Amino acid sequence: MQPTSSMNEEFLKKWQMGLQIFHPSIDNTSVHERKKAIKLSADVAMASLRKGTTCWSRALIEKTATEDNFLVRQMLSGIKAEALINKKLPKRTVCHRKIVRRSKKILRRKSKSASEEAAAKAKRLVKRRTQGLRNVVPGGELMSNDVLLLQETLDYIVSLQTQVNVMRSIVDAAEAEIER
Amino acid sequence: MNGAIGGDLLLNCTDMSVLERQRAHLKYFNPSFDSPLAGFFADSSMINGGEMDGYLATAGLNLPMIYGETTVEGDPRMSISPETTLGTGNFKKRKFDTETKDRNEKKKKMNREEVTEEEEEKSKITELNNGSPKSIKKMKNKAKKEENNCSNDSSKVTKELEKTDYIHVRARRGQATDSHSIAERVRREKISERMKFLQDLVPGCDKITGKAGMLDEIINYVQSLQRQIEFLSMKLAVVNPRPDFDMDDIFDKEVIVSTPMTVVPSPEMVHSGYSHEMVNSGYSNEMVNSGYHHVNPMQQAETSSDPLSCFNNGQAPSMWDSYVQNLYGSLGV
Repeated sequence: MQPTSSMNEEFLKKWQMGLQIFHPSIDNTSVHERKKAIKLSADVAMASLRKGTTCWSRALIEKTATEDNFLVRQMLSGIKAEALINKKLPKRTVCHRKIVRRSKKILRRKSKSASEEAAAKAKRLVKRRTQGLRNVVPGGELMSNDVLLLQETLDYIVSLQTQVNVMRSIVDAAEAEIER
Repeated sequence: MNGAIGGDLLLNCTDMSVLERQRAHLKYFNPSFDSPLAGFFADSSMINGGEMDGYLATAGLNLPMIYGETTVEGDPRMSISPETTLGTGNFKKRKFDTETKDRNEKKKKMNREEVTEEEEEKSKITELNNGSPKSIKKMKNKAKKEENNCSNDSSKVTKELEKTDYIHVRARRGQATDSHSIAERVRREKISERMKFLQDLVPGCDKITGKAGMLDEIINYVQSLQRQIEFLSMKLAVVNPRPDFDMDDIFDKEVIVSTPMTVVPSPEMVHSGYSHEMVNSGYSNEMVNSGYHHVNPMQQAETSSDPLSCFNNGQAPSMWDSYVQNLYGSLGV
């Protein structure tokens, strides 16, 4: 499941359309600001590839919109995806603290055998890793179950690979031009 | 009792045999009585024949009801007549038949279950592919069915027969059959399937066994990709701040890029402030080992030494469209 060339093209097209919108604002600025604008546009282009069908893309657009709302809105309207910014994210599930504490107490009361304890330990390790994955994938905290989280992670990784491929090829091309 | 009521009838038809007389009697009381009885007999004979399928089973189940109706419709005083006694005798026989039939059906069901057990693996795969709440529903049905397994009620047997058409997931021997544990099992299978896909996608993940280790590797990979994007965007900002690149070069490179790159973490990266997160989070070793990062220290040094020299492209933004078309043309679209 490697990123396909059609995905690369689509990303490149969207990204460059976005960069064109950014162009006047990043012409005479510092390197850091330019970098920020480039990253922002790349993120939005990547997220807009999925057309709001995945949770992570919506979360990513929302995140970038909080950083620079005006530019993101402009860019999304430039690539004809204005609707993406208003896509709703799933609601965060809130646990009742009292109930959670009580159930933990009940669980602790049971005496466990050695094998059960080992299984519980492995479970805890996996749970911590899953939590880490939630923090890494945009919008991961909102994904209610592990199956959905893994699915979104798959999609996110493919998109990231596309982004890296395209960016790297452009960097290489630019560097080759300098050498000439 | 019978004689008193049928007295006038007996006067009319003295030549008839007892049975014929009784039939006439029945016709007199209830003209439509004959037809269900005939159907009844025909069915019972077929039941005695032994061959059972779904249709016959349901037909047989309707028969007691017919019988009950006829007794209600007919006069209660008729019960003494030879015809009806014959009927009840037959009914008893038939009851016995239905019992044996139930057993047969159960046997058949068991056979079917064995078959499904054999096909279990295949169906599980299809289940996973479907990946819908539908499958859970089916499994719930299945669980219910197994609860009903020991019941003798024939109506339940027919319900089961109807349900057996869409069983897909079954518990293996020794596995729990209640809906919760089956749903949990399906969930776990789905997760393991997704993990398998991730294993294919993430380089270096196929050597690791165990879910925790794999999740670690996935997190590392995602973080390294994110950092790579950060780094590449920084590089782009330094190299070329404008969106109009020379497209021909990009296509030449596009083909090469798909092959994995070697890792050379450069000292420049540390200076430029993009690798400090990497060092802090302790992932630098993994990145060196598994080849996530592609950095050419020479080029990096070159570009960072004079970042302004590269703003040398004099192409106007209006030329953009032709470049894009050029790009797609050379990519073979």
